[in-house]
Amino acid sequence: MARGARVSRAPVVLAVLALLLLPGLPVAAPPLPAGHALTVQVTAEPPGLDLTATPASATATIVFYNVQEGLVKVDPHGRLVPWLAERWHTADGLNYTFFLKRGVRFHNGRPFTADDVRFVLDRARQPETRHPHAKQYEDIADIQVRDPHTVTIALRKPNAMFLYTLARQGSVMYPREAVEQLKSQPVGTGPFVLARWERGDRVVLKKNPDYHAKGVPRLDEVTFRFIADQNAALAALQAGDVDVAYFGLGPESVDVVRRSPGLRVVVGETTNDVVLALNNSRPPYADVRVRRAITHAIDKDEVLRGAMFGFGRILGTNVDALNPYFVDMARALPHDPGRARRLLAEAGYPNGFDAVLKVAPQYPYTVRTGEVLVGQLAKVGIRVRLEQIEWGQWLERVYRNADYDMTIIGHAEAWDAGNYANPRYYFRYDSPRFQEVFQKSETTLDEARRRALYRELQQIMVEEAPVVWLYAYPRLVAAKRGVQGIWKDLPTPSFDLSGVSWAR
Amino acid sequence: MMRAFVARRLVAFGATMLVVSILVFVVVRVLPGDPALLILGLEASPEAAAALRTALGLDRPLPVQYAEWLARALRGDFGRSIQYDLPVGGLILDRLAVTAPLTLLAAVFMAATALPLGMYAATHHRRPGDYVTLIVSQLGLAVPSFWAGLLLVLLFAVHLGWVRAGGFDGWEAGLGPGLRSLLLPALALGLIQAAILTRTTRSALLEVFQAEHVRTARAKGLSERAVTWKHVLRNALVTILTILGLQLGHLMAGSIVLENVFYLPGLGRLALGAIGARDLPVVQGVVLCVATVIVAVNFAVDLLYALLDPRIRYE
Repeated sequence: MARGARVSRAPVVLAVLALLLLPGLPVAAPPLPAGHALTVQVTAEPPGLDLTATPASATATIVFYNVQEGLVKVDPHGRLVPWLAERWHTADGLNYTFFLKRGVRFHNGRPFTADDVRFVLDRARQPETRHPHAKQYEDIADIQVRDPHTVTIALRKPNAMFLYTLARQGSVMYPREAVEQLKSQPVGTGPFVLARWERGDRVVLKKNPDYHAKGVPRLDEVTFRFIADQNAALAALQAGDVDVAYFGLGPESVDVVRRSPGLRVVVGETTNDVVLALNNSRPPYADVRVRRAITHAIDKDEVLRGAMFGFGRILGTNVDALNPYFVDMARALPHDPGRARRLLAEAGYPNGFDAVLKVAPQYPYTVRTGEVLVGQLAKVGIRVRLEQIEWGQWLERVYRNADYDMTIIGHAEAWDAGNYANPRYYFRYDSPRFQEVFQKSETTLDEARRRALYRELQQIMVEEAPVVWLYAYPRLVAAKRGVQGIWKDLPTPSFDLSGVSWAR
Repeated sequence: MMRAFVARRLVAFGATMLVVSILVFVVVRVLPGDPALLILGLEASPEAAAALRTALGLDRPLPVQYAEWLARALRGDFGRSIQYDLPVGGLILDRLAVTAPLTLLAAVFMAATALPLGMYAATHHRRPGDYVTLIVSQLGLAVPSFWAGLLLVLLFAVHLGWVRAGGFDGWEAGLGPGLRSLLLPALALGLIQAAILTRTTRSALLEVFQAEHVRTARAKGLSERAVTWKHVLRNALVTILTILGLQLGHLMAGSIVLENVFYLPGLGRLALGAIGARDLPVVQGVVLCVATVIVAVNFAVDLLYALLDPRIRYE
């Protein structure tokens, strides 16, 4: 952002005039569309529609659950429920037998069978297919087709995340004959069929008349329009050009939407944990006292008020409220500047130190959060310079090369505690204790014991403070009042349209 | 003579394009940022990213990549978009169908506002009309076009509901709806640029008004109208045309911003998205296309000079 330009007074005068005049004009409630069509604003265009090639949430929002589905589904409350597999069975925690739902057909008309399950999972675990998460399937030893509707998957070792992996967007079912077209014309079993993708403009889905679940979908056609600019998204919603603003709404716009006739805001939880990441391989952040001091220096309530208009949930660890093992640690290391200064002095920094905080303006919340943190950290003597870098550069410098002191970013993936057990991840957090407990949690199937291990993991996160967990990003969806059936929370990155409809 | 000039300019044109293509090629690859990482995101494993880089052909030496690209580009094949998996040439043509009419419409609005206003101000020098024009054009200079666009949307789409807030349904939907979609962005773009052209026109005319041949014309007893149209305007046109040519480039650049505000699927948004996603073949294609247009406009302006001013000869 160039700030050197000479500021003229004219725009200010015009802005004031506009602000005074425009809100006073009557705004009509946006007209409701006839029939059963829905237009949805999304911010980003997907980098391809192949869920087995990109983990982008822009892709999952449109394709996951709508065009393609998996054996297991994550429900609106974050629980695993049977889907294309109507039930499963395991006696030893190693061999899982899945009984597939009957009468399911792909969009190309061919019945979905156990052979497809084997093909899809075999393809996911082969490195040459470049599945972004091939590792998640590496415990699979063998896949046996018993009959067209029964398949047994044998694991090398117990894997507590196995069923969840089958519910991820990378595990959707597609027909073998459509592999080459997944990127631009995905085929699946979902309630909607991909009608067309007009590059740079929209994706249009049409109702699948042959869908395997009765009574859904209730919409005939859904159009996702790519509108990146927040003001444009808001104007499109107010003018009635779009029915739902799915990602376009920042916390600053909530009030405007709530005051607009005919519009409402769905406020809920997400798994998007916004963190102040610290480079644990660099002094002074290698010292746990410094990391804890930074945590104590931060007033997360003020961050939420200042950067997020009060929306969002304060976090204490990586485990968010949509995770069944969530323990509220938000106040475990409370805001305490005195203690922060003492810890810094103990660590040998009585006069604080200088730091660079890199943020990517593509995600405006990172900049706003950074601006609040600069002031808070200054109060304990940590002099932070905010540096804005472009997203592509952020990925290269910060994420890949860990060339940073501090950075702010949201980690949207659910169940991502494994990032803290990976010393090569850009936090460069290398704690044998954490790694050991995490590995144990991955292979422990007993519910009570696994819960205890997750409690311990969260305790270690608080003690070792590898990063500062700031807040879970709020889910803010704006919609016309007539639109019903939008999930309140977002435990998985899909905009599940199967239950969405217009109120009569 | 003219033919030799055109031939020389065409050679220069080709050389410019070659230099531009090398520059773009080097710059987009020197920029930190890896298309593989942008596609795979925050949870990508280094192995998956490396495999994708190989698949995209990004692990080969730069000169090899450039030579291959150039060889194909000369045959009209600009490669495939990484993000869209479609030929770049087709993508650009699709987007030009939005950006070219938008730019032209904005240019029409700009010229239709600025030329009469500038003439009016110059012929009413130091009278109230002149000052009003100056103040209004000062406003135009100060307001960024994206903001003007937003205000137009708030007024005409949100409050009055006369037009939609943005979007473009394609020319298949008809000429009328297509032009309607481009109306507000073209207005925002054209009127803001008109401010500059108004001031240029005014000062160019004022300068010529003080020239000796104008005094002679007046002394001959020609009417003020005849003086303005025959002797002043024609002489001032060289300056005005130069600025106009430059502004066409600005209009194209400005359309990037306005396409975002009005979510039009144009060339600017294609470029912006491609730079963000490091979709290198698309970035190269778009930059080359825009550079071609700008060089071509300059070329046309050069030719027009000769028509307007008999003293200019190309030898």
